[in-house]
Amino acid sequence: MNVSIIGAANTKFGELWDVSPRALAREVVFGALKDAGIEVRQIQALFVGNMLSGMLGGQEHLGAFFAEELGFTNAAAFKIEGACASGGLAIHTAVNGILSGQYETVAVLGVEKMTDHKPEDVATALMGAGSSQERAAGCTFPGLYAILARMHMQEFGTTEEDMAAVAVKNHYHASLNPNAQFHRPITIEAVLKSHKVADPLKLLDCSPISDGASALVLSVRRQASGVKIVASSVATDTLGLDQRASLTELQATKEAALRAYKQAGIEAKDIDVAEAHDCFTIAEILALEDLGFYIKGSAARAIQAGEVTLGKAKKLVVNSSGGLKGCGHPIGATGVKQVVELVAQLRGTAGARQVAGARMGLAHNVGGSGATAVVHILKR
Amino acid sequence: MLSPVKLWRNQKKVGEMLGRTGKIISWTTVRVPPADFSDQAPYPVALVELDGGGRITAQLVDWEDQNLKTGQKVANVVRRIIKPNTEGVIPYGIKVKPI
Repeated sequence: MNVSIIGAANTKFGELWDVSPRALAREVVFGALKDAGIEVRQIQALFVGNMLSGMLGGQEHLGAFFAEELGFTNAAAFKIEGACASGGLAIHTAVNGILSGQYETVAVLGVEKMTDHKPEDVATALMGAGSSQERAAGCTFPGLYAILARMHMQEFGTTEEDMAAVAVKNHYHASLNPNAQFHRPITIEAVLKSHKVADPLKLLDCSPISDGASALVLSVRRQASGVKIVASSVATDTLGLDQRASLTELQATKEAALRAYKQAGIEAKDIDVAEAHDCFTIAEILALEDLGFYIKGSAARAIQAGEVTLGKAKKLVVNSSGGLKGCGHPIGATGVKQVVELVAQLRGTAGARQVAGARMGLAHNVGGSGATAVVHILKR
Repeated sequence: MLSPVKLWRNQKKVGEMLGRTGKIISWTTVRVPPADFSDQAPYPVALVELDGGGRITAQLVDWEDQNLKTGQKVANVVRRIIKPNTEGVIPYGIKVKPI
Protein backbone atom coordinates (compact mmCIF):
# COMPACT_ATOMS: atom_id res chain seq x y z
CA MET A 1 0.00 0.00 0.00
CA ASN A 2 1.82 3.10 -1.25
CA VAL A 3 0.41 5.82 1.03
CA SER A 4 2.65 7.92 3.25
CA ILE A 5 1.68 10.28 6.05
CA ILE A 6 3.78 13.37 5.38
CA GLY A 7 2.06 15.82 7.75
CA ALA A 8 0.18 15.56 11.06
CA ALA A 9 -1.18 17.99 13.65
CA ASN A 10 -3.61 18.25 16.58
CA THR A 11 -5.20 21.22 18.30
CA LYS A 12 -5.54 21.23 22.05
CA PHE A 13 -8.62 19.17 23.02
CA GLY A 14 -10.99 20.47 25.66
CA GLU A 15 -13.69 23.03 26.38
CA LEU A 16 -12.64 25.60 23.79
CA TRP A 17 -15.41 28.19 24.13
CA ASP A 18 -13.34 30.97 22.56
CA VAL A 19 -12.47 29.02 19.39
CA SER A 20 -14.74 28.46 16.35
CA PRO A 21 -14.77 25.34 14.12
CA ARG A 22 -13.24 27.51 11.35
CA ALA A 23 -10.36 28.52 13.64
CA LEU A 24 -9.82 24.91 14.74
CA ALA A 25 -9.63 23.81 11.09
CA ARG A 26 -7.20 26.57 10.10
CA GLU A 27 -4.87 25.88 13.02
CA VAL A 28 -4.72 22.15 12.48
CA VAL A 29 -4.70 21.90 8.67
CA PHE A 30 -2.10 24.65 8.23
CA GLY A 31 -0.15 22.92 11.01
CA ALA A 32 -0.21 19.64 9.08
CA LEU A 33 0.76 21.40 5.81
CA LYS A 34 3.69 23.08 7.54
CA ASP A 35 4.73 19.74 9.01
CA ALA A 36 4.61 18.26 5.49
CA GLY A 37 6.48 21.22 4.01
CA ILE A 38 3.92 21.74 1.25
CA GLU A 39 1.64 24.53 0.02
CA VAL A 40 -2.15 24.81 0.04
CA ARG A 41 -2.27 24.53 -3.78
CA GLN A 42 -0.70 21.06 -3.66
CA ILE A 43 -3.75 19.61 -1.85
CA GLN A 44 -6.04 17.95 -4.41
CA ALA A 45 -8.78 16.76 -2.06
CA LEU A 46 -10.06 17.41 1.47
CA PHE A 47 -11.78 14.68 3.51
CA VAL A 48 -13.63 16.01 6.58
CA GLY A 49 -14.58 13.63 9.40
CA ASN A 50 -17.45 15.04 11.46
CA MET A 51 -20.69 13.79 12.99
CA LEU A 52 -22.74 16.55 14.60
CA SER A 53 -22.30 19.76 12.61
CA GLY A 54 -25.82 19.44 11.19
CA MET A 55 -27.67 18.39 14.34
CA LEU A 56 -25.85 20.72 16.75
CA GLY A 57 -24.58 23.57 14.58
CA GLY A 58 -27.11 23.61 11.75
CA GLN A 59 -24.21 23.57 9.26
CA GLU A 60 -23.90 20.81 6.67
CA HIS A 61 -21.99 20.86 3.37
CA LEU A 62 -18.78 20.73 5.38
CA GLY A 63 -16.55 19.82 2.44
CA ALA A 64 -17.21 23.17 0.79
CA PHE A 65 -17.42 24.97 4.15
CA PHE A 66 -13.89 24.06 5.19
CA ALA A 67 -12.46 24.15 1.64
CA GLU A 68 -13.54 27.80 1.51
CA GLU A 69 -12.04 28.55 4.91
CA LEU A 70 -8.75 26.87 4.03
CA GLY A 71 -8.47 28.30 0.52
CA PHE A 72 -8.71 24.84 -1.14
CA THR A 73 -10.93 26.38 -3.79
CA ASN A 74 -10.25 23.94 -6.61
CA ALA A 75 -9.85 20.82 -4.51
CA ALA A 76 -12.46 18.06 -4.25
CA ALA A 77 -14.01 18.17 -0.78
CA PHE A 78 -16.15 15.71 1.19
CA LYS A 79 -17.76 15.23 4.60
CA ILE A 80 -17.56 11.64 5.85
CA GLU A 81 -19.86 10.59 8.68
CA GLY A 82 -19.84 7.35 10.67
CA ALA A 83 -20.70 8.50 14.19
CA CYS A 84 -17.60 8.32 16.45
CA ALA A 85 -15.74 6.52 13.63
CA SER A 86 -16.12 9.53 11.29
CA GLY A 87 -12.42 10.41 11.60
CA GLY A 88 -11.21 6.88 10.86
CA LEU A 89 -13.62 6.61 7.94
CA ALA A 90 -12.34 9.93 6.55
CA ILE A 91 -8.78 8.55 6.59
CA HIS A 92 -9.94 5.31 4.94
CA THR A 93 -11.74 7.29 2.22
CA ALA A 94 -8.67 9.49 1.67
CA VAL A 95 -6.46 6.38 1.40
CA ASN A 96 -8.83 4.96 -1.22
CA GLY A 97 -8.72 8.27 -3.10
CA ILE A 98 -4.95 7.93 -3.36
CA LEU A 99 -4.95 4.19 -4.11
CA SER A 100 -7.42 4.75 -6.95
CA GLY A 101 -4.87 6.99 -8.67
CA GLN A 102 -7.29 9.94 -8.63
CA TYR A 103 -5.23 12.03 -6.16
CA GLU A 104 -1.56 12.23 -5.22
CA THR A 105 -1.71 14.44 -2.14
CA VAL A 106 -4.76 14.98 0.09
CA ALA A 107 -5.67 16.44 3.49
CA VAL A 108 -7.81 14.77 6.17
CA LEU A 109 -9.49 16.98 8.76
CA GLY A 110 -11.31 15.57 11.79
CA VAL A 111 -13.24 18.22 13.70
CA GLU A 112 -16.05 18.51 16.26
CA LYS A 113 -17.46 21.37 18.34
CA MET A 114 -19.58 19.98 21.18
CA THR A 115 -19.31 22.17 24.27
CA ASP A 116 -21.36 25.05 22.81
CA HIS A 117 -24.47 22.93 23.46
CA LYS A 118 -26.36 21.59 26.47
CA PRO A 119 -25.38 18.03 27.57
CA GLU A 120 -28.98 16.78 27.04
CA ASP A 121 -28.92 18.08 23.47
CA VAL A 122 -25.52 16.46 22.85
CA ALA A 123 -26.84 13.17 24.33
CA THR A 124 -29.86 13.35 21.99
CA ALA A 125 -27.69 14.12 18.96
CA LEU A 126 -25.26 11.29 19.76
CA MET A 127 -28.18 8.85 19.89
CA GLY A 128 -28.49 9.50 16.16
CA ALA A 129 -25.80 6.83 15.99
CA GLY A 130 -28.06 4.21 17.59
CA SER A 131 -31.18 2.38 16.44
CA SER A 132 -34.70 3.85 16.50
CA GLN A 133 -35.72 1.35 19.19
CA GLU A 134 -32.74 2.43 21.34
CA ARG A 135 -33.89 6.05 20.98
CA ALA A 136 -37.47 5.11 21.87
CA ALA A 137 -36.11 3.31 24.96
CA GLY A 138 -34.60 6.61 26.14
CA CYS A 139 -31.18 4.99 26.11
CA THR A 140 -27.93 6.97 25.84
CA PHE A 141 -24.44 5.97 24.72
CA PRO A 142 -23.27 5.50 28.30
CA GLY A 143 -26.41 3.35 28.69
CA LEU A 144 -25.59 1.13 25.69
CA TYR A 145 -22.01 0.59 26.86
CA ALA A 146 -23.31 -0.02 30.39
CA ILE A 147 -25.43 -2.86 28.98
CA LEU A 148 -22.31 -4.26 27.28
CA ALA A 149 -20.31 -3.80 30.50
CA ARG A 150 -22.84 -5.78 32.55
CA MET A 151 -22.76 -8.60 29.95
CA HIS A 152 -18.95 -8.71 30.23
CA MET A 153 -19.12 -8.64 34.04
CA GLN A 154 -21.59 -11.52 34.08
CA GLU A 155 -19.66 -13.62 31.56
CA PHE A 156 -16.04 -13.04 32.65
CA GLY A 157 -16.19 -11.66 36.20
CA THR A 158 -14.96 -8.22 35.09
CA THR A 159 -15.34 -5.75 37.97
CA GLU A 160 -15.95 -2.03 38.37
CA GLU A 161 -12.37 -1.76 39.70
CA ASP A 162 -11.08 -3.39 36.50
CA MET A 163 -12.89 -0.79 34.42
CA ALA A 164 -11.67 2.02 36.70
CA ALA A 165 -8.07 0.93 36.02
CA VAL A 166 -8.52 1.84 32.34
CA ALA A 167 -9.47 5.41 33.29
CA VAL A 168 -6.54 5.65 35.74
CA LYS A 169 -4.05 4.51 33.06
CA ASN A 170 -5.41 6.81 30.39
CA HIS A 171 -5.53 9.86 32.67
CA TYR A 172 -1.87 9.12 33.57
CA HIS A 173 -0.95 9.04 29.87
CA ALA A 174 -2.99 12.22 29.26
CA SER A 175 -1.04 13.96 32.03
CA LEU A 176 2.02 13.61 29.74
CA ASN A 177 0.23 14.99 26.66
CA PRO A 178 0.19 18.81 26.37
CA ASN A 179 -2.80 18.68 23.96
CA ALA A 180 -4.96 16.48 26.22
CA GLN A 181 -8.18 17.74 27.84
CA PHE A 182 -7.19 16.40 31.28
CA HIS A 183 -3.76 16.67 32.90
CA ARG A 184 -4.69 15.41 36.34
CA PRO A 185 -3.91 11.79 37.28
CA ILE A 186 -6.84 10.07 39.05
CA THR A 187 -7.18 7.09 41.37
CA ILE A 188 -9.31 3.93 41.32
CA GLU A 189 -11.19 5.30 44.36
CA ALA A 190 -11.97 8.56 42.57
CA VAL A 191 -13.45 6.64 39.63
CA LEU A 192 -15.52 4.39 41.89
CA LYS A 193 -16.81 7.39 43.89
CA SER A 194 -17.68 9.54 40.86
CA HIS A 195 -21.40 9.89 40.32
CA LYS A 196 -23.31 7.34 38.31
CA VAL A 197 -24.18 8.15 34.70
CA ALA A 198 -25.60 4.80 33.55
CA ASP A 199 -25.04 2.02 36.09
CA PRO A 200 -22.51 0.43 36.35
CA LEU A 201 -20.72 3.23 34.46
CA LYS A 202 -19.76 6.32 36.42
CA LEU A 203 -18.68 9.77 35.28
CA LEU A 204 -14.97 8.83 35.26
CA ASP A 205 -15.68 5.70 33.18
CA CYS A 206 -16.89 8.00 30.38
CA SER A 207 -14.96 10.00 27.82
CA PRO A 208 -15.81 13.70 28.05
CA ILE A 209 -17.67 16.08 25.74
CA SER A 210 -14.92 17.93 23.89
CA ASP A 211 -13.96 20.38 21.18
CA GLY A 212 -10.95 19.80 18.97
CA ALA A 213 -9.52 19.05 15.57
CA SER A 214 -6.81 16.87 14.03
CA ALA A 215 -5.36 16.77 10.54
CA LEU A 216 -3.16 14.63 8.31
CA VAL A 217 -1.56 15.08 4.91
CA LEU A 218 -1.40 11.82 2.94
CA SER A 219 0.60 11.41 -0.23
CA VAL A 220 2.05 8.93 -2.70
CA ARG A 221 5.32 10.78 -2.15
CA ARG A 222 7.57 9.45 0.58
CA GLN A 223 9.61 11.33 3.13
CA ALA A 224 12.95 10.17 4.49
CA SER A 225 11.54 10.15 8.03
CA GLY A 226 8.13 9.08 6.74
CA VAL A 227 5.45 6.90 8.21
CA LYS A 228 3.50 4.62 5.89
CA ILE A 229 -0.05 3.35 6.11
CA VAL A 230 0.26 -0.41 5.59
CA ALA A 231 -3.39 -1.33 6.29
CA SER A 232 -6.75 0.48 6.25
CA SER A 233 -9.91 -1.52 6.85
CA VAL A 234 -13.55 -0.95 7.77
CA ALA A 235 -16.19 -3.41 8.98
CA THR A 236 -19.79 -2.94 10.05
CA ASP A 237 -22.36 -4.60 12.31
CA THR A 238 -25.99 -3.90 13.22
CA LEU A 239 -26.83 -0.41 14.52
CA GLY A 240 -28.67 -1.70 17.57
CA LEU A 241 -27.33 -3.99 20.30
CA ASP A 242 -30.50 -6.11 20.18
CA GLN A 243 -29.69 -7.40 16.67
CA ARG A 244 -26.13 -8.56 17.48
CA ALA A 245 -24.96 -12.17 17.42
CA SER A 246 -22.69 -11.59 20.46
CA LEU A 247 -22.82 -9.03 23.26
CA THR A 248 -19.41 -9.75 24.79
CA GLU A 249 -17.44 -8.73 21.71
CA LEU A 250 -17.66 -6.18 18.91
CA GLN A 251 -17.75 -8.28 15.76
CA ALA A 252 -16.94 -5.28 13.54
CA THR A 253 -13.70 -4.70 15.47
CA LYS A 254 -12.70 -8.35 15.10
CA GLU A 255 -13.41 -8.33 11.37
CA ALA A 256 -11.69 -4.99 10.69
CA ALA A 257 -8.64 -6.14 12.67
CA LEU A 258 -8.40 -9.48 10.85
CA ARG A 259 -8.52 -7.72 7.46
CA ALA A 260 -5.95 -5.15 8.57
CA TYR A 261 -3.46 -7.74 9.87
CA LYS A 262 -3.85 -9.63 6.60
CA GLN A 263 -3.31 -6.48 4.50
CA ALA A 264 -0.19 -5.58 6.50
CA GLY A 265 1.07 -9.17 6.62
CA ILE A 266 1.55 -9.00 10.39
CA GLU A 267 0.01 -10.33 13.62
CA ALA A 268 -1.34 -8.57 16.70
CA LYS A 269 1.86 -9.36 18.62
CA ASP A 270 3.89 -7.24 16.16
CA ILE A 271 2.19 -4.00 17.30
CA ASP A 272 4.29 -1.73 19.56
CA VAL A 273 1.80 1.05 20.21
CA ALA A 274 -1.99 1.17 19.79
CA GLU A 275 -4.67 3.81 20.08
CA ALA A 276 -7.82 1.84 20.99
CA HIS A 277 -11.33 3.30 21.06
CA ASP A 278 -11.99 3.85 24.80
CA CYS A 279 -15.16 5.95 24.66
CA PHE A 280 -16.00 4.16 27.93
CA THR A 281 -13.62 2.12 30.08
CA ILE A 282 -15.36 -1.15 29.13
CA ALA A 283 -14.73 -0.29 25.46
CA GLU A 284 -10.94 -0.50 25.88
CA ILE A 285 -11.31 -3.90 27.55
CA LEU A 286 -13.48 -5.13 24.67
CA ALA A 287 -11.07 -3.59 22.13
CA LEU A 288 -7.91 -5.24 23.48
CA GLU A 289 -9.66 -8.61 23.28
CA ASP A 290 -11.32 -8.09 19.89
CA LEU A 291 -8.11 -6.70 18.34
CA GLY A 292 -6.38 -9.95 19.31
CA PHE A 293 -4.00 -8.55 21.94
CA TYR A 294 -5.60 -10.64 24.71
CA ILE A 295 -7.89 -13.66 24.76
CA LYS A 296 -11.54 -13.01 25.64
CA GLY A 297 -12.01 -12.23 29.31
CA SER A 298 -8.34 -11.57 30.11
CA ALA A 299 -7.70 -7.94 29.06
CA ALA A 300 -9.11 -6.28 32.18
CA ARG A 301 -6.62 -7.92 34.55
CA ALA A 302 -3.74 -7.22 32.17
CA ILE A 303 -4.62 -3.52 32.02
CA GLN A 304 -4.91 -3.37 35.81
CA ALA A 305 -1.49 -5.09 36.14
CA GLY A 306 0.06 -2.29 34.06
CA GLU A 307 0.85 -4.48 31.04
CA VAL A 308 -0.09 -1.73 28.57
CA THR A 309 0.95 1.33 30.66
CA LEU A 310 3.83 3.61 29.63
CA GLY A 311 6.98 2.78 31.58
CA LYS A 312 5.61 -0.58 32.76
CA ALA A 313 4.72 -2.35 29.49
CA LYS A 314 7.13 -4.96 28.13
CA LYS A 315 6.06 -4.13 24.58
CA LEU A 316 2.57 -2.92 23.63
CA VAL A 317 1.45 0.44 25.07
CA VAL A 318 -2.23 1.34 24.65
CA ASN A 319 -3.56 4.90 24.36
CA SER A 320 -0.35 6.81 24.95
CA SER A 321 -2.26 9.98 23.96
CA GLY A 322 -4.57 9.49 26.94
CA GLY A 323 -7.19 7.89 24.72
CA LEU A 324 -10.70 9.25 24.33
CA LYS A 325 -10.98 9.12 28.13
CA GLY A 326 -8.03 11.35 29.01
CA CYS A 327 -7.19 13.24 25.83
CA GLY A 328 -10.84 14.05 25.09
CA HIS A 329 -13.32 12.91 22.46
CA PRO A 330 -14.33 15.54 19.90
CA ILE A 331 -16.26 12.94 17.87
CA GLY A 332 -15.07 13.59 14.30
CA ALA A 333 -11.51 14.43 15.39
CA THR A 334 -10.90 11.30 17.46
CA GLY A 335 -10.09 8.81 14.67
CA VAL A 336 -7.70 11.29 13.08
CA LYS A 337 -6.09 12.18 16.43
CA GLN A 338 -5.35 8.49 17.02
CA VAL A 339 -3.29 8.40 13.80
CA VAL A 340 -1.60 11.74 14.58
CA GLU A 341 -0.50 10.23 17.91
CA LEU A 342 0.87 7.13 16.18
CA VAL A 343 2.81 9.32 13.72
CA ALA A 344 4.47 11.08 16.67
CA GLN A 345 5.27 7.73 18.29
CA LEU A 346 6.72 6.22 15.10
CA ARG A 347 8.76 9.34 14.31
CA GLY A 348 10.09 9.30 17.88
CA THR A 349 8.80 12.80 18.63
CA ALA A 350 6.23 11.97 21.35
CA GLY A 351 8.35 13.48 24.12
CA ALA A 352 7.48 12.43 27.67
CA ARG A 353 5.07 9.77 26.42
CA GLN A 354 7.42 8.24 23.83
CA VAL A 355 7.23 4.45 23.51
CA ALA A 356 10.91 3.56 23.03
CA GLY A 357 11.71 2.08 19.64
CA ALA A 358 8.10 1.98 18.37
CA ARG A 359 8.03 0.78 14.75
CA MET A 360 4.49 -0.54 14.24
CA GLY A 361 1.29 1.22 15.36
CA LEU A 362 -2.43 0.40 15.25
CA ALA A 363 -5.39 2.79 15.43
CA HIS A 364 -8.86 1.45 16.28
CA ASN A 365 -11.87 3.73 15.86
CA VAL A 366 -15.45 2.65 16.63
CA GLY A 367 -18.76 4.22 15.60
CA GLY A 368 -21.87 3.85 17.75
CA SER A 369 -21.96 0.86 20.06
CA GLY A 370 -19.85 -1.10 17.55
CA ALA A 371 -21.77 -0.76 14.29
CA THR A 372 -18.70 0.66 12.53
CA ALA A 373 -15.08 -0.22 13.21
CA VAL A 374 -12.02 1.18 11.43
CA VAL A 375 -8.49 -0.15 11.84
CA HIS A 376 -5.33 1.46 10.49
CA ILE A 377 -1.83 0.02 10.79
CA LEU A 378 1.16 2.32 10.42
CA LYS A 379 4.81 1.45 9.99
CA ARG A 380 7.95 3.55 10.30
CA MET B 1 -39.29 11.49 16.03
CA LEU B 2 -42.62 13.27 16.25
CA SER B 3 -43.52 13.32 12.55
CA PRO B 4 -47.09 11.88 12.38
CA VAL B 5 -46.20 9.94 9.21
CA LYS B 6 -43.20 8.30 10.86
CA LEU B 7 -45.31 7.40 13.90
CA TRP B 8 -48.01 5.92 11.64
CA ARG B 9 -45.47 3.74 9.76
CA ASN B 10 -43.91 2.63 13.05
CA GLN B 11 -47.24 1.44 14.50
CA LYS B 12 -47.05 -1.75 12.40
CA LYS B 13 -43.81 -2.77 14.11
CA VAL B 14 -45.23 -1.92 17.53
CA GLY B 15 -48.23 -4.19 16.87
CA GLU B 16 -46.00 -7.12 16.00
CA MET B 17 -43.99 -6.80 19.24
CA LEU B 18 -46.92 -6.30 21.59
CA GLY B 19 -47.58 -8.93 24.24
CA ARG B 20 -44.40 -10.89 23.63
CA THR B 21 -42.60 -12.11 26.74
CA GLY B 22 -38.96 -12.67 27.56
CA LYS B 23 -36.27 -12.25 30.18
CA ILE B 24 -33.75 -9.51 31.01
CA ILE B 25 -30.20 -10.41 29.99
CA SER B 26 -28.61 -7.03 30.83
CA TRP B 27 -29.73 -3.60 31.98
CA THR B 28 -28.64 -0.11 33.00
CA THR B 29 -30.15 2.83 34.84
CA VAL B 30 -30.04 5.98 32.72
CA ARG B 31 -29.35 8.94 35.04
CA VAL B 32 -28.27 11.51 32.42
CA PRO B 33 -31.07 11.25 29.81
CA PRO B 34 -31.59 12.65 26.33
CA ALA B 35 -33.44 16.00 26.37
CA ASP B 36 -36.95 14.63 25.71
CA PHE B 37 -36.65 12.12 28.57
CA SER B 38 -35.53 14.56 31.28
CA ASP B 39 -38.84 14.33 33.19
CA GLN B 40 -38.57 10.53 33.44
CA ALA B 41 -34.97 10.07 34.68
CA PRO B 42 -33.59 8.07 36.33
CA TYR B 43 -35.10 5.02 34.63
CA PRO B 44 -33.91 1.49 33.79
CA VAL B 45 -33.33 0.32 30.21
CA ALA B 46 -33.21 -3.44 29.71
CA LEU B 47 -31.91 -5.71 26.99
CA VAL B 48 -34.45 -8.52 26.77
CA GLU B 49 -34.12 -11.99 25.22
CA LEU B 50 -37.59 -12.67 23.79
CA ASP B 51 -39.27 -16.05 24.09
CA GLY B 52 -39.32 -17.58 20.61
CA GLY B 53 -36.23 -15.66 19.49
CA GLY B 54 -34.95 -12.15 19.03
CA ARG B 55 -34.07 -9.39 21.47
CA ILE B 56 -35.29 -5.90 22.25
CA THR B 57 -33.79 -2.90 24.02
CA ALA B 58 -36.59 -1.17 25.94
CA GLN B 59 -37.34 1.00 28.94
CA LEU B 60 -38.49 -0.99 32.00
CA VAL B 61 -41.71 0.31 33.58
CA ASP B 62 -43.76 -0.57 36.69
CA TRP B 63 -40.59 -1.93 38.32
CA GLU B 64 -39.24 -2.33 41.85
CA ASP B 65 -35.61 -2.81 42.89
CA GLN B 66 -36.01 -6.60 43.04
CA ASN B 67 -36.91 -6.63 39.32
CA LEU B 68 -33.50 -5.25 38.29
CA LYS B 69 -31.80 -8.59 37.76
CA THR B 70 -30.72 -10.93 35.00
CA GLY B 71 -33.41 -13.51 34.31
CA GLN B 72 -36.30 -11.24 35.34
CA LYS B 73 -39.35 -12.16 33.25
CA VAL B 74 -40.96 -9.29 31.38
CA ALA B 75 -43.69 -8.64 28.83
CA ASN B 76 -43.86 -6.06 26.03
CA VAL B 77 -46.46 -3.37 26.66
CA VAL B 78 -47.48 -0.24 24.81
CA ARG B 79 -46.64 3.04 26.58
CA ARG B 80 -46.27 6.70 25.83
CA ILE B 81 -42.58 7.26 24.89
CA ILE B 82 -42.30 10.97 25.71
CA LYS B 83 -44.58 13.93 26.39
CA PRO B 84 -44.97 15.90 23.16
CA ASN B 85 -45.52 19.66 23.15
CA THR B 86 -49.15 20.76 23.46
CA GLU B 87 -49.87 20.60 19.72
CA GLY B 88 -47.80 17.49 18.93
CA VAL B 89 -48.76 13.89 18.28
CA ILE B 90 -48.29 11.60 21.28
CA PRO B 91 -45.71 8.92 20.39
CA TYR B 92 -46.44 5.41 21.67
CA GLY B 93 -44.05 2.49 21.56
CA ILE B 94 -42.85 -0.67 23.23
CA LYS B 95 -41.67 -0.72 26.83
CA VAL B 96 -41.30 -3.81 29.04
CA LYS B 97 -42.77 -4.55 32.46
CA PRO B 98 -41.98 -7.26 34.99
CA ILE B 99 -44.36 -10.26 35.12
